[in-house]
Amino acid sequence: MASELQFINKLMNSFSEIGEIKIIAKGDYLIKEGETEKNLYWVVSGAVRVFYLTEFEEHVIRLGYKDSLINSLSSFIKQTPSEFFVEAIRKTTVKVISKEQLLTIVHESNESLQQYLALMEILVTQQIDREIDLLITSPAERLKRVLARSPNLFQEIPLKYIASYLRMKPETLSRIRNS
Amino acid sequence: MQINKEQLITELISLTEQAIIAVKKFKTLDIRQLNFKNTPEQWSVLECIEHLNLYGDFYLPEIQKQLLKATSEGYSTFFKPGVIGNYFAGLMKTENGKIKKMKSPKNKNPVSSVLSITTLDRFLKQAQLLQTLLKQALTADLTKIKTAISLSKFIKLRLGDTLRFYVYHIERHILQAEKALGL
Repeated sequence: MASELQFINKLMNSFSEIGEIKIIAKGDYLIKEGETEKNLYWVVSGAVRVFYLTEFEEHVIRLGYKDSLINSLSSFIKQTPSEFFVEAIRKTTVKVISKEQLLTIVHESNESLQQYLALMEILVTQQIDREIDLLITSPAERLKRVLARSPNLFQEIPLKYIASYLRMKPETLSRIRNS
Repeated sequence: MQINKEQLITELISLTEQAIIAVKKFKTLDIRQLNFKNTPEQWSVLECIEHLNLYGDFYLPEIQKQLLKATSEGYSTFFKPGVIGNYFAGLMKTENGKIKKMKSPKNKNPVSSVLSITTLDRFLKQAQLLQTLLKQALTADLTKIKTAISLSKFIKLRLGDTLRFYVYHIERHILQAEKALGL
């Protein structure tokens, strides 16, 4: 098994053992802009969106559903105020572990640390994929790339949020989906 | 009529600051209070603020665009309101905490929007941008620069009038929001 998956396995076991269960209602937030992210969440059921608010719009930058690991990542890493909101799109159950708990798992052995490093490398390359996504002009191509990564997206997430994630109008997304 | 430009901008910045303070206070309240309506026809706090956001969506990019296009030529320390602009600005102005009632255009009616606490955050971001634009306007010609308005494609207003109209409009609905809470 790839080492990042071994770490995720370990993490999942910890979530099951020590993760506190939290249920959030639709429209409630795991974190709001300006707060500092102290936790990492594992989505047990439901769906969440991470978005960036400007003067004029909410831009979805990440979506999470069953088995996603999610939080406001830059705030979690740097312990600075979050630039993002993390909101439940529908009633959502998560398991929570704190940054301290995560770091304990990371540092429990040299092997664990190596695996964590592998996971971080994967995260960086995923972030670059996402950057390329946004540079691709054709909306249809943009959708194709995202569906290749997350085939179940439309079963889990309302269309308007997928459209925002793909930086297109909901009407455009409907049209390319039907053609 | 001539208005001293610096005085006008200072007044508008200060009114914007007061609006920011009021909305930060709203942020500390419970979402149920923010959604509370005295009667079905009257707007809740969030509806008042969303109404302002919808105006900001139109006016802030328009003001920004016209300020960017403007050259520093014809710099003047005074602003001369236009007839229509002065009328609109006067219409919005509150007097001794009293608001003249009027109907809102359909496309600026917030009642069907989805409202949450981010409605307030969005307003605060817009207000920050407005303050930046007001500071930029200090070195612009408020009489010569013209801006489009949301009510009609055929009328353009002097930038100074648009700024007065826009900021007084904010003041008006902040007051309405405070009334909705019974403050």
